[in-house]
Amino acid sequence: MKKAAELLKEYGSRAQIAAGGTDLYPRMKYGLLRPEVVISLKGLPVKSPTTGGEGELHLDAFMTLADLVRSPVALERAPLLAEAALNVASNQIRHMATLGGNLCLETRCTYYNQSHTYQFVEPCFKRNGDRCYLIPKGKKCQAVFMADTVPALICLDAKLEIQSDTDSRQLAVADFYTGDPLSPIALSEGELVSKVIIPRSAPIQGSGFAKFSLRGGMEFGALTVAVILDGKEGGRACGKARIAVGSVSAKPVRAVKAEMALKGEKPSDKLLREVAKKIASEVRPVMHHGYSVPFLRACLEVLAYRTLAKAAGGIGKD
Amino acid sequence: MGRRSLKRLIELFVNDETHEVAVEPQTTLLEALRDHLGLTGTKEACGTGECGSCTVLVEGKPILSCLALAVDYENQHILTIEGLSEGEELTPVQQAFVEHGAIQCGFCTPGMVLSTTALLSENPSPTQEEIRKALEGHLCRCTGYNKILDAVNMAAKKRIGMLE
Repeated sequence: MKKAAELLKEYGSRAQIAAGGTDLYPRMKYGLLRPEVVISLKGLPVKSPTTGGEGELHLDAFMTLADLVRSPVALERAPLLAEAALNVASNQIRHMATLGGNLCLETRCTYYNQSHTYQFVEPCFKRNGDRCYLIPKGKKCQAVFMADTVPALICLDAKLEIQSDTDSRQLAVADFYTGDPLSPIALSEGELVSKVIIPRSAPIQGSGFAKFSLRGGMEFGALTVAVILDGKEGGRACGKARIAVGSVSAKPVRAVKAEMALKGEKPSDKLLREVAKKIASEVRPVMHHGYSVPFLRACLEVLAYRTLAKAAGGIGKD
Repeated sequence: MGRRSLKRLIELFVNDETHEVAVEPQTTLLEALRDHLGLTGTKEACGTGECGSCTVLVEGKPILSCLALAVDYENQHILTIEGLSEGEELTPVQQAFVEHGAIQCGFCTPGMVLSTTALLSENPSPTQEEIRKALEGHLCRCTGYNKILDAVNMAAKKRIGMLE
């Protein structure tokens, strides 16, 4: 790992890291990136998930999503993350792609990395050009961050361990995303994500995850919603609530107003429907995947209600 | 700027045989299998990880050989469709695909058969949902999915002795 960080420092922006390679290699094949050096991390030993002194779960960033989905510790301690990981791409990709790689996914748009044709026109903002093909008179890039595991990790209050050649630092997953479609993640040159740390969960907790995509599997999410509700009063009321929505902009967002509306309340069906409405009005999706904003909003309300109902069921809603 | 040739000799362990192959760092496992070893049963369609045609098993797990670099897979047990049957004898999965006509143009078939093989060795009695989840990364543009699902169900039953 240290050697990889040293190599990364040595080659700087001329190098790209490949963990699973399933996001990087297609971009290289599309001609979007031509790194001089690719540092493959395939040979690195991967640690099994462990629990730390305060009951927190430590996940090696280089574990594949397939291993994560099968890990009994992860399934028991972070079922929301396992469910999200099971929704990433396809079975073959989950056997190659890593958790850290999913965290560091490149932002996407219909033109930038989903069409060969647009490689032969004037470059867009994302390709250091001066135009947007998605919104023809747009003044900035509108590429969207679409990793499925990230909304789940935000709800789980997860932290990342980030390694450089000389030291390591920790950063909350929620702070790892810049909101800038051109440079979506807060990694400095020479740094790589080495570990994901998930704190111990509340004794009574319910969670829900939903992803909307056209084909079900094998596709980036058009919307992903993750919810965690802590229970209090023996599960009769909600304690802390965390709601995160992905595939809406250059970073996944929390629906903070909706979270506040749940805190301390009994999660009745009526309240959950109101909160779902709040989520859909609070979160502002960017048009993508060929879907309009009103459609994505309507869809978000449905997904939000389903995930809220599932999470409320987990804390013992009557 | 001209590209330097950085060919190196690696050993690939494919279908229980070791092969020495001279590859460049950017040579994909798919190219090594097809162009260097002549194992053209592994297909290339999209080349970007969306269709599943290039699926091979590495240590029994399905991966996409179009997004894998050959140098990363040295000395790992790689199984391609050519190495699946023992001589003329088809495996229960292959036999089920034949009997159900789960093949039209046949381009997706090697990948489908290998993913099914991996699924059934890990989970001998999968539910319908588990079968769909295991095969979701395979596109059949002849859209013969129902026959494929029937074949997987039949193969599962055959393997655990529920069918002759």
